Amino acid sequence: MTVDSIEALERALEDARYLPDRGLATALFLSLRLEKPLLLEGEAGVGKTEAAKALASALSARLIRLQCYEGLDVAHAVYEWNYARQLLHIRAAQEGTVSEAELFGPEFLIRRPLLQAIESEEPVVLLIDEIDRADEEFEAFLLEILSDFQVTVPELGTIEPRRRPAVVLTSNRTRELHDALRRRCLFHWVDHPSAEREVEIVRLHVGDAPQRLAEQATAFVRTLRTSDLQKVPGVAETIDWCRALTALGCEELDATAAGETLGALLKQRDDLEAVRGGELVALVGDARATG
Amino acid sequence: MSSLRSSATRVQPADVVERVVDFGRVLRGAGLEVGPTRVGDAVSALALVGVADRERVYWTLRQTLASSVDELEAFDRAFALWFGGGRAGPDEEDVAQRPVFVAGPAGDAPGGRAAGADRGGYSADELLRQKDFATLTDDDRARLGELIRALARARPQRRSRRLRPHARGTVLDLRRLMRASLATGGDPRECTFRRRVDAPRRVVVLCDVSGSMEPYARAILLFVHALRQAGRGVEAFVFGTRLTRVTPALARRDPGRALDETAAQALDWAGGTRIGASLRAFNDRWGARGAVVVVVSDGWEIGDTAAIAQETARLHRESYALLWLNPLKGKPEYQPLAGGMRAALPHVDRFLPGHDFESLEQLADAVAGVAARHQV
Repeated sequence: MTVDSIEALERALEDARYLPDRGLATALFLSLRLEKPLLLEGEAGVGKTEAAKALASALSARLIRLQCYEGLDVAHAVYEWNYARQLLHIRAAQEGTVSEAELFGPEFLIRRPLLQAIESEEPVVLLIDEIDRADEEFEAFLLEILSDFQVTVPELGTIEPRRRPAVVLTSNRTRELHDALRRRCLFHWVDHPSAEREVEIVRLHVGDAPQRLAEQATAFVRTLRTSDLQKVPGVAETIDWCRALTALGCEELDATAAGETLGALLKQRDDLEAVRGGELVALVGDARATG
Repeated sequence: MSSLRSSATRVQPADVVERVVDFGRVLRGAGLEVGPTRVGDAVSALALVGVADRERVYWTLRQTLASSVDELEAFDRAFALWFGGGRAGPDEEDVAQRPVFVAGPAGDAPGGRAAGADRGGYSADELLRQKDFATLTDDDRARLGELIRALARARPQRRSRRLRPHARGTVLDLRRLMRASLATGGDPRECTFRRRVDAPRRVVVLCDVSGSMEPYARAILLFVHALRQAGRGVEAFVFGTRLTRVTPALARRDPGRALDETAAQALDWAGGTRIGASLRAFNDRWGARGAVVVVVSDGWEIGDTAAIAQETARLHRESYALLWLNPLKGKPEYQPLAGGMRAALPHVDRFLPGHDFESLEQLADAVAGVAARHQV
């Protein structure tokens, strides 16, 4: 599908169960129309990866995801030869000699995410997830790919894309990315959504959550975000927590249920103890007053 | 720039192009790296979304012209100035109060002397090695720069996850094997192997530049600069009342200019200290995972020392090793009485002085030789 306006893209994303704010919708729209990769940065749990998934679904495109990690190399990101098959092939052809061209043909090539994205016949959203986890060598390599979008396999030649895939990169900023990579991309900083928007997101994902519960739980989480915790909960955690509270049959937030399910929200022992041992009751009270 | 304009005018009225180009100039003035490509992107993007809606214009320009979250504040300020509505300009006072470094301690050091390969060659150097940084003259500092550069050498290593060809490797290099066996009809005659090799381990230096630390901070930053010049993977931060990342500033080759720029970026230079809050800012935003962390501070805290205990504990958990350098430790009668220091010590792997060149040698050895936590 082609996207004619930001509003059209917003509607398509909403149909894919993702509620973007205006900034993010603009960023995705521009990335598609200018055919530039989009770099999404933001704290963990603000919905960066989800945005790429929703974009794929909104465009009816195939999502190809490359999860980055330290030591990620060409053999795991782009292509590798299928050595086992090659060996078998040589063995099977004992009689005649096997030519090099035969052995290094397309049927022996294992296509990893980046090559898949470039070769794909159908429209593709390529998600390069948590690029900050990859090492600098890979970042430099990625720079090459993102600038001309082609891959050269020495034995096969240069492979060019049939169409340019939409590319979304995400980073949690555990490491500063290289300027050259930033320059290739549009940049958008993803913030936590507004209070109303977050309630809408929660209700969208936990259909049977009572409205009041969703509002109060969201208010509770938003207060936690401003407090002194090691890891503040993201939107994904708000959703999980509401799901847990709903499963317990809560109509409204109460201190007992909140204390029991707090593990869905806070994943650090220090944080859990700080909230449980401290202001839990007061926080629940505040949240009930706003909700 | 002229080709940019001619291509852009096809879709945009000239004054919009003009305005974006000018805005790009304003942003460059504010320290953003806005090249012609970005300006071109901004113009094409505005052609797509239109210029009627202020919010849209804002997002469009921000996404095309800014490239990191650190630039957003400057961008917002420039946008408000340029397109009207809200926020005044940058705080003039801040700029005026920035301190400037004594220029070029090591960069224009007198030539002719062998650059420090023989560590104990000169008796003058011998004295200098044990001279407290607080009592250095400019000449001392220049000579010290040379000595420090000679220190920049071995870095701590970690095992990389990357495989490289290696004579005593353990993983078969199948790609090579396959090529080699083509000639012999599928019989691999010679096997080549790959193995994981060592890569430099990340080093993070967090240096206190508050008033009480100032005489020492310069010499230590000189050392960090030398370390940085010796290879990648060194991150440097300074803190007084807040944390500032100075890695890019220290990337300048010339030590004098690198230190000038570092001082210019730290608005809290030679002010008070909030160690706990600064370490916390580091832990929240960057994290020490797997790195050798060096904190340089005398532990004088104006805030809460409980925060120091909490954040050094976190540093200890996440880092590979945590070293703490305290210039006061060089004094024979020193006892870690400062509340902040006492709070931090239980979590520190190695507590070192940092007041003279010899203590920097110790630091260099400790950083390079760090093996594993229990051996530190």
